[in-house]
Amino acid sequence: VDRLRTPWLAYLMAGLAAVGGYYALPWDTLAQTLVYDGIGMSSAAAVAAGAVLHRPRRRAVWLLMAAGLAAFSIGDVIFNTWDSTSPSAADVFYLGGYPLIAVGLGLVIRALRTNDLRPGLVDAAIVTVGFALCQWIFVMDRLTHTRSSTSAEAVALAYPAMDVLLLSALVVFFLTPAWRTVAYRLLATSLVLLLFADELYGLSPDRYATASWLDSAWLLSYVLWGVAALHPSMRALTEPAVQTRPRLGTARVHMLAAALLTAPIVLVIERLTHRPLHPIAVAIGATLLSVLVLRRLGGLVTALDRLRIEERAARSEAETTQRLLAEQNERLREADRLKDEFVALISHDLRTPLTSIIGYVELTLDQDGLNDEQRTYLEIVARNSERLLHLVNDLLFVARLEAGELELKPNELDLAAIARQSVDEAQPRAEAKGIDLSCEIEPVGVIRADRGRMFQLLDNLLSNAIKFTPEGGRVAVQVTEREPGVRLTVSDSGIGIPEGDRKRLFDRFFRAASAVDRQIPGTGLGLYIARAIVEAHGGTISLDGTPASGSTFMVELPFARAVAETKLELVT
Amino acid sequence: VTGQRPLAVVADDERDILLLVATVLKNAGFDVIGARDGAEALAEIRVRRPQLAVLDLSMPELDGLEVLRRVRADAELAEIPIVILSARAEEADVALGYAEGASKYVRKPFKPSELAALASELVHSPPEGL
Repeated sequence: VDRLRTPWLAYLMAGLAAVGGYYALPWDTLAQTLVYDGIGMSSAAAVAAGAVLHRPRRRAVWLLMAAGLAAFSIGDVIFNTWDSTSPSAADVFYLGGYPLIAVGLGLVIRALRTNDLRPGLVDAAIVTVGFALCQWIFVMDRLTHTRSSTSAEAVALAYPAMDVLLLSALVVFFLTPAWRTVAYRLLATSLVLLLFADELYGLSPDRYATASWLDSAWLLSYVLWGVAALHPSMRALTEPAVQTRPRLGTARVHMLAAALLTAPIVLVIERLTHRPLHPIAVAIGATLLSVLVLRRLGGLVTALDRLRIEERAARSEAETTQRLLAEQNERLREADRLKDEFVALISHDLRTPLTSIIGYVELTLDQDGLNDEQRTYLEIVARNSERLLHLVNDLLFVARLEAGELELKPNELDLAAIARQSVDEAQPRAEAKGIDLSCEIEPVGVIRADRGRMFQLLDNLLSNAIKFTPEGGRVAVQVTEREPGVRLTVSDSGIGIPEGDRKRLFDRFFRAASAVDRQIPGTGLGLYIARAIVEAHGGTISLDGTPASGSTFMVELPFARAVAETKLELVT
Repeated sequence: VTGQRPLAVVADDERDILLLVATVLKNAGFDVIGARDGAEALAEIRVRRPQLAVLDLSMPELDGLEVLRRVRADAELAEIPIVILSARAEEADVALGYAEGASKYVRKPFKPSELAALASELVHSPPEGL
């Protein structure tokens, strides 16, 4: 990278030093002339070297420019050394240099994307016509009256014409926001300097002898051109530009307005300076300008129309998508409704056979004359029927919950009393498994809750704790006050819940791996229902403890006075 | 049918359940008349004036709710305790049953011992204000 970075800087320094040296040397000496010619030649060489060094995509661009600069420089040599009259051999090289450079610039412009190029070209044409009009009236027309021979006249006219050509390329260059690189700026500055010097010279060539500072513009133009070609960013100039839509920025509007005003301003200037008027030239210029501006506006209108059509298409597409989405949502809702109906139906239809099973088993168990074995078997049937019934109830509850139909009948109640009663009811089940079920209950403030749901919640938590605790374990229930509500904890010394399952534990139908592995039966609905109940009461439920030491479920429910303010929410 | 024992009319379109309920009530000291649909149940209630009726909800001809309504609308029968015994287990169904004048709404499946206790209670000390 360093190898590529240094040449341009070295050339810039050397070039500036040479320009300084040019002014330091005595005027019109051979040494001074050699410095001038050397700068020109070195510029051509630098551009060619840059093209070789950086290997840009279109090397021809830079080689053409190098050739153009070389032609200028040869013209300088001839002009300075032998012949400063006009027309001369120097003119051949000077005039030959312009087309080479213009073609080179044209090739750069071709690298632009088309949708950006077209309005850019029209804008350039507008500016060029305005410039050409001025050029004709203030520079060229005068030349046609002052020259003696036709050839002299043609040569004299050719320079301003070539400047128009260069300017048109420069304008396209300027109007292209595609490259804001160092090389781009250097090249543009160089072109501006060249045009500036040419124009000043063209306006009054006779004064050139005294206007020695004009040389600095040409010399700097040479130097900067060479620096531009040596700068690594020169490669970007001929890369296909990634460009957004054509825009009509403020700068462009101002420029177009200025171009349109050219014709009237020219007339005004001629009038004020008492020059002869050029009505035909002004009329042609004005007409051309108007046509071009109309063309440009037409392009804008077309572009706007296209945008509008695209926008309409996009909008209609969005609407179609939205409609499809709505239809899909409707179908999903319908499917959901059918699912709920299905669950309700199943629940109803399962109850009828369960009624017979549970009823007749109990009737049979009530009879005398059963032997122990028969009694044991029937008790197993009864227990499993109860389990099935529990599942049916859970399914129905979840279906209602999902349908947003969980109704609460909240009353002020004492959670401590409910917990005590639930523990008493669960005691036989715990004893049957040899589990130590204890409860530690403080007097607590009243909560506002649905009594049935609270029993359901406690039953769920206690059943789980007993189910997942091996024989000889312990289950403890605690009720304490924790501002701003009551805290209920149910902890067990059971199998615990693996870390990875904790997040999804309260999800519907989720079953912890530890439960599945041990083939402990369940539906994955218990904790889902527990959470739904707790949240419907404005409370929270969470899991504590480590997998090794069992599980602790913690429920927090707000005091009644807190709930009175926020109002109970219905679960959806 | 002896005059000593209270009479119950039981209606259910499921024969197994009809037999179950009838057995439970007989064991609890009732005489039982079974009906397989609502129309039959209503006719039996009108003719026999039982001390208790146990009605299923989903039945052909007349459903349980309609039977309940007609019994409650009839001044001579209105005081008969009626138990609705249904597999429709939702809160809304229960609420509707009570709104129509059911003395008790029992969800299927039920515990025979609980039904027996309930039936005896309804017959021996009729609840007030229903």
